[in-house]
Amino acid sequence: MVLRIAQKEITEMIRDGRFRAAGAIIFTLLAGALLLGWQHYREVSAQHSAAQRATREQWLGQGKKNPHSAAHYGIYAFKPKVPLTMVDRGTDPYTGVAVWLEAHKQNEFKYRPAQDATAVQRFGELTGATVLQLLVPLLIVLLAFNAFSGERELGTLRQLLSFGVSQQDLERGKALGVAAALGLLLVPAALIGVVALTAGSGQTDMIAAIPRMVWMTLGYLLYFGAFVGVSLAVSAWASSSRSSLIILLGFWMFNGLIAPRAASDIAKAVRPAPSAFQFARGIEKAMQGDGHDSASERTKRLEQGLLKKYNVDKIEALPINFMGARLQDSEDHGNEVFDQAYSRLWAVFDAQDGVHRLLSAAAPSLAVRSASMAFAGADFPQHAHFAKAAEEYRRSIQRVMNDDLMRNASNTGVYLAGGELWNKVQPFEYTAPDAGWVLSRQAPSLTILALWCAAAAMAAMWTARRVRVYLT
Amino acid sequence: MLEANALSKSYNGTTALHPLDLRIEPGEIFCLLGANGAGKTTTINLFLNFIPPSSGTAKIGGLDVVQQPLESKRLLAYIPEQVMLYKNLTGIENLEYFTSLAGGRHSKAELMGFLEEAGLARTEADKRVGAYSKGMRQKVGIAIAIAKKARALLLDEPTSGLDPKASNEFSELLKKLSGSGAAILMATHDLFRAKETGTRVGIMKHGHLVARYSTSELGHADLERIYLEHMHD
Amino acid sequence: MIRTLMRYDWRNLSADRAPLAVAVVLGVAIAYGAFNGSEWIRFQNRAISEALAEEGERFDRIRNEIPKIESGEKTVSPFADPRQPQSFGRNMGTRYAVMPPAPLGALAIGQSDLYPYYFRVSTNSRETFLNNDEVENPVHLLTGRFDLAFVLLYLYPLVILAFSYNLVSSEKESGTLALTLSQPVSLRRLVMAKVLLRAAFVAALAVLLSAAGVIIGGTNLAAEGAWSRLLVWAAVTAMYGAFWFALAIAVNALGRGSATNAMTLAGAWLLFVIVIPSVLNVAIKALYPVPSRVELIQAIRVAGDESTRQGSKLLARYLEDHPELAPPSKGPGGPPDFGTLLVAVNEATERKVQPVLAEFDAQLANQQSMVDRLRYLSPAIVAQSAFNDLAGSSAHRYKHFLAGVDEYHRQWRGFFVPRILRKEKLNASDLARLPAFTFREEPTADVTGRAGVAFVGLLVAVVLAGIPAVMALRRYPVAG
Repeated sequence: MVLRIAQKEITEMIRDGRFRAAGAIIFTLLAGALLLGWQHYREVSAQHSAAQRATREQWLGQGKKNPHSAAHYGIYAFKPKVPLTMVDRGTDPYTGVAVWLEAHKQNEFKYRPAQDATAVQRFGELTGATVLQLLVPLLIVLLAFNAFSGERELGTLRQLLSFGVSQQDLERGKALGVAAALGLLLVPAALIGVVALTAGSGQTDMIAAIPRMVWMTLGYLLYFGAFVGVSLAVSAWASSSRSSLIILLGFWMFNGLIAPRAASDIAKAVRPAPSAFQFARGIEKAMQGDGHDSASERTKRLEQGLLKKYNVDKIEALPINFMGARLQDSEDHGNEVFDQAYSRLWAVFDAQDGVHRLLSAAAPSLAVRSASMAFAGADFPQHAHFAKAAEEYRRSIQRVMNDDLMRNASNTGVYLAGGELWNKVQPFEYTAPDAGWVLSRQAPSLTILALWCAAAAMAAMWTARRVRVYLT
Repeated sequence: MLEANALSKSYNGTTALHPLDLRIEPGEIFCLLGANGAGKTTTINLFLNFIPPSSGTAKIGGLDVVQQPLESKRLLAYIPEQVMLYKNLTGIENLEYFTSLAGGRHSKAELMGFLEEAGLARTEADKRVGAYSKGMRQKVGIAIAIAKKARALLLDEPTSGLDPKASNEFSELLKKLSGSGAAILMATHDLFRAKETGTRVGIMKHGHLVARYSTSELGHADLERIYLEHMHD
Repeated sequence: MIRTLMRYDWRNLSADRAPLAVAVVLGVAIAYGAFNGSEWIRFQNRAISEALAEEGERFDRIRNEIPKIESGEKTVSPFADPRQPQSFGRNMGTRYAVMPPAPLGALAIGQSDLYPYYFRVSTNSRETFLNNDEVENPVHLLTGRFDLAFVLLYLYPLVILAFSYNLVSSEKESGTLALTLSQPVSLRRLVMAKVLLRAAFVAALAVLLSAAGVIIGGTNLAAEGAWSRLLVWAAVTAMYGAFWFALAIAVNALGRGSATNAMTLAGAWLLFVIVIPSVLNVAIKALYPVPSRVELIQAIRVAGDESTRQGSKLLARYLEDHPELAPPSKGPGGPPDFGTLLVAVNEATERKVQPVLAEFDAQLANQQSMVDRLRYLSPAIVAQSAFNDLAGSSAHRYKHFLAGVDEYHRQWRGFFVPRILRKEKLNASDLARLPAFTFREEPTADVTGRAGVAFVGLLVAVVLAGIPAVMALRRYPVAG
């Protein structure tokens, strides 16, 4: 019975030119977006890995110099692209692409790709995520808004029910019909995506991407499920197809346009972030001078500590290089300051994301957006994960340089190190967090999506049972 | 007053109305009979200039409805099967609106007079049209015709679905309007009303006006027999 | 006649309570948008005043310190000596170049959340101080702001469409159209009356509430050009609204039912506001790809390494080019100091990187000119560019600011480089002679001129949608 109904629904949809056209447009946009995403991924990841190799060679080939000069020369860390960003670029355009790892300072990432684009970018980027989050739900609305109200207006609902079809079967059949129509559209697109993924990335990346892709797909399916359920419920409940369409378009609009912006504003009002100026100023104040300032109290403390430790009376008599010790001491102090400042800032961002998650109870689009960019590997927590790894690497470089200074430099003469020391710094290897790491953070989003889907399905069943055959 | 000269209409090759010649003088009530799809509504829509004719002309008071669409409409009133009014406005507000579109300025008392003349109770006139029965809405339609002093009336099955009493009242109103010099063209399925009210009847079939009679020549039984004969072949 | 039609149309509309609801929704959205915009302006102003206060404190400290150092009362390392021109010009005495929010800044946040609005200009190369990005959760940048421009670009068309998608079709469906048109009224006049009524209602709402927003937003109307910008803003808003009305008439004129009209218009909205802009964005990036910033970083680094290696050779060449800057006595002197070398190294590095940067600028200019040409594909893009321009949150104003900063950077170096090379220490009186940055607003005529072009573009769009609409109305199937 349910299958028979679903079959009729699909036949009707396929014969309707409007849906054929809408489906064709959405499929073209989706396939196009995936291919563009694939190309973008290939280009950018090639650039980044080439640059990462180049910066390593520059580091190794910097010739003879003082280790602290080398530390100042530093190295760059380029954020790698992960394969699933071909579906969802997330916040990548709005976070910098590279960070300079130099002495004394945890730098900010620079060059946000969005800065190198026109204002048209702010209308939104054509990515798989845009199509899936914005356009597919609209298609669902168009497919389902008159599922019940249309049959009532035609008078076919009376006939169906007079044949002994139960409302629930009707509802299930309609849901199945819409799902099948979506499947016709999305399965081929997903296949294109998988092929692009396989062709575009190495084996290890590919294997790492599979569980992420599975979770991402689950998120989208729940999201679509929620939309199908809400659409059918409204269609059964509304007094006419017209009001059903208007309510559903309103729901779509709220999800796609209003909710994300409103959520951002609420999040900012609840947990305001400092201005860049305040942030930098806070760090500056906390630092109170840097390694070049021998007059600072820290230096005196260090000096006295070392003199005592080695039981000598002047710096020149120390068995280690004082400059190296002082630089490392200053690094240690700076690290504390940076850790505090960044963890505070990132905690604010985290709390803001928490507000978004909370509000996704009102709009499932917020939850799916968050889950999608997280499993794609393009959300802020994963940016911060990379930033932390890069910072750790910076600190390890500083330690190697300062250790060498301490051990090998004399307290009087000029000291130069060479390739051997530069080679002691391991190349920067970054492993993106695995799907489990993301899942532990995204479990609330997926739960909310599941709840939305379940609630929408229940609402659809409930309203279907009470669907009015006649309007009085 | 109402005049069709070789008036015809075809839609993509199918002819809805074959060239029609018809004159309806003031005081006449011409009833168009015929099956659904015979071309009755097409004829009325052509007079209303709602659809452009394929050939020929339709004139109201000598004015070509295509050439002078607005001027010709000053002369006519139209009552469809369902007189659809703005349901959020009251009966009197609807009347005021439509008459003011025709350029009329009437006081509330005058408007109330028209409604009463059309048979609508005073207490009903201030209610919103949403709660009106079909018969009441038809009365507002008549009131519009009265207020406008329409010289030509185009009626498209105005009595179908009315109960016999309402239908009778409606016929009386038509006779009154015709008595004051209006030319009336009415499409109807109601042979009885056509005989009672009409001065002439015409029978349409497949877009042709196949026969016309003066009602004074016919008895009830005659009309029904003639009609069925025409329908048979 | 038109007035009668409008009066009764209003009665019908208002009986639905729909206009009231819409007025409330649109009003709340506009007020909220204006409030948000003004919050952003307040945020910027606070950051700017904090920066300037910091600069003031720093200069007070230096002013106090110099006499003490000169008199030997205080000793400092050469790195911390404010009298050293390379220390002062690179770090200690650097000053802020600030672009304050434009008079109408609160109306459209536009690109202003992506571009820095103040820089701490130093003698270093500009790439070192140009990355002064504001701290912001990137999710919020991705989402965009709920400002007045958002309400006008996205929601205002929807309100218009909600009011007019069934302009004619509803009358046809309820049967009143036939009765109305059996009166001496032409369909065009009827539509005109209905559109005028709705347009008056919606436009009055948008303009009045925007004006309220301007007041809530604390806009300084006394600022130069504020009124003329506001006027053009209102004109663009009206014309953008007119486009959507024209589109609604055109769709109604096709004679389909209300449900089909609603779907068609929702599709058109999606096309113009979402699909065309995002496809255009992709096309622009594909046609004029901006070179990779990753490669820029590498280019700067390679050039810097090379220049550093050739350091002293470069200095000699530099001094040959600028003999007037040579240190007074060419005597024994010893090796050139760090500051002196840096001047030459920076100069050489910048010369080498210049072509790469020029390529960025060229591609961005190409992108912009492609947007300027192709934005007419969607009135939403046209309106967006006009709104950003008028609010001063466009790339144009930022580029204008950058040009000013570059000029100031030159002045700053012009002040310090000779002193560095001549190893001339600064004294207290030099502090008063430091170059200062003042932001000069773009000429109002330039801004309104650009927005005026957008206005004309919208006008053309209205005509293009309107003419077929009026033509089609003539053939509107009233019956059948």
